[in-house]
Amino acid sequence: MLAVNSIDVAYGHAKVLHDVSIQLQQGEMVFVVGRNGAGKTTLLKTIAGFLKPTRGEIDLERRSISALAPEQVARRGVRYVAQDKKVFSDLTVKGNIELAAYASGEPLPQAVERVVGLYPKFQEFMNNKAGGLSGGQREILLIGRALVGEPKLLLIDEPTEGLAAIVIQDIFRILSGMKAKVSSIIVEQNLSVVSRLADRIYIMKEGKIERELSDPAEIKNTAELENYL
Amino acid sequence: MRKLIVEQPSFQVHPGAWYLVFRDMAIIAAAFLSLSLFTPVYWLTDFTVMCILVLSFDLLYGYMGHLSFGHMLYFGIGAYMASLALLHLAPNPFLAILAGLVCGAALSAVVGFVVVRTSGAAFALVNLAINQIGYWLALSGLQDYTHGEDGLPSSVDPLGFLDFRSGPVAFGFMLVCLLLVFWLLKTLTASPYGIVVRSIKENEDRVKFLGYDTFNYKWLTFVIASTLAAFAGSLYALVKGFVAPSDVNPLENTRIIFSVLIGGAGNLYGAIVGSVAFEMISNLLATSIARWEMILGLMLLVLVFWFRRGITGYAYQLYLNRNRERLAKFAQSMGLSLRRQK
Repeated sequence: MLAVNSIDVAYGHAKVLHDVSIQLQQGEMVFVVGRNGAGKTTLLKTIAGFLKPTRGEIDLERRSISALAPEQVARRGVRYVAQDKKVFSDLTVKGNIELAAYASGEPLPQAVERVVGLYPKFQEFMNNKAGGLSGGQREILLIGRALVGEPKLLLIDEPTEGLAAIVIQDIFRILSGMKAKVSSIIVEQNLSVVSRLADRIYIMKEGKIERELSDPAEIKNTAELENYL
Repeated sequence: MRKLIVEQPSFQVHPGAWYLVFRDMAIIAAAFLSLSLFTPVYWLTDFTVMCILVLSFDLLYGYMGHLSFGHMLYFGIGAYMASLALLHLAPNPFLAILAGLVCGAALSAVVGFVVVRTSGAAFALVNLAINQIGYWLALSGLQDYTHGEDGLPSSVDPLGFLDFRSGPVAFGFMLVCLLLVFWLLKTLTASPYGIVVRSIKENEDRVKFLGYDTFNYKWLTFVIASTLAAFAGSLYALVKGFVAPSDVNPLENTRIIFSVLIGGAGNLYGAIVGSVAFEMISNLLATSIARWEMILGLMLLVLVFWFRRGITGYAYQLYLNRNRERLAKFAQSMGLSLRRQK
């Protein structure tokens, strides 16, 4: 459903991605791993439309999205969950969900139910300001908000970064529930999560795709993956 | 999974909220009528016009986070167009208001198309530059129409009981206009549009992630805010019967910004409280101190460094703290403790 074909991306004169190509099939959960500065976040931001490739094409369902603005990419069904776990802190939890429901056209009760289904505790916090949520709760709210309107493709950047083990379990449970239902590309450093959920892994190094792993035995081999982190 | 019932989307102004809007309108009307017991009516008339102007600015700055140093341009265009309509078309107040509104909306629609592509300091300064051009046009560029420094006098014919020469009638009319503007902005800011605009202030990129074309929202907000400023300008022309280039002077923007800061930005009540407080302070200081602007300057410094949330922001904080204390006492009596919610 998504084909990133030989893209180069640069910040000014500094080239960050070099000839990067990845593929994603319908319902697949693909992980991108690599050291800091490898270009993982840049790749997600480029697919989401925030950066424009200087070369190459990005096709979603065989239609190019390379030149589209972020809001146009979002309207094609792509949702991006950024790394910094920032919600609209001045809005309530419900307000955050409403913002997504209004944009996607999903009825609010259904959208709220969808997000509460991921994390029932939200029912208690529904009218609290989202700025008061913990880091893990914010991440869950962001993922839940991104799922409103049933997107075609979800891009999630480091969902477990900086979270306590117990919250990582919640995130893991949510991502497991998404598997096979939503196509997703997830940047993640937690190899335990990656090896248990990935249908395919792309390893990035210095702005290039170093390896692609699709064999289940290779995906489970976290010891080898660690060499790339 | 437990079934969750959501009674009403909080995006919409539902019946309960309608009641609250009307309650607030009644409080504002009562506050102004109470002020009339010890404040000259012509002061209050000016206050209500200022309140409309500051409310319009608050939509742009307080809600959307775009600080403009050029809002007076739209106030001025509203005032000049209303006066010109009174002079050259007919001495009808509603025609004058319509002329001010239409011209303010048309100018802001064109200017907004350019300026909302900028943000931060660039937005403030581009607006200042355009305001300066407007000021020059009023002063000399278009003096055949504006009469330059001499200003533009006009008069309004009474329309039934609506006679602007009568102080109480003028005040009553302006108060009704203020309440209508308050109702409009309260409804808008509680609507889906309002939530998106507030979210743009917090993080525009994230609003784009969700699929919103933020340019349209910013442009619309700019046009609404500027048109309301033009509305305030046309009301000013009706009340004063005279418009001068000083009514487009970019320096006057400081009055609007100061009022919003005093009352508390991003809060309609703050805009009203701030306007009245600013006008009251400046009117009272001007009668007793020669260089009263210096006192205002010092007050601005105090506000910026120590009271950034303004009068309403601190009043709300005080209210929350008192409630928390009461709740803590109640919890203690029940043998419970309160967990602090950030």
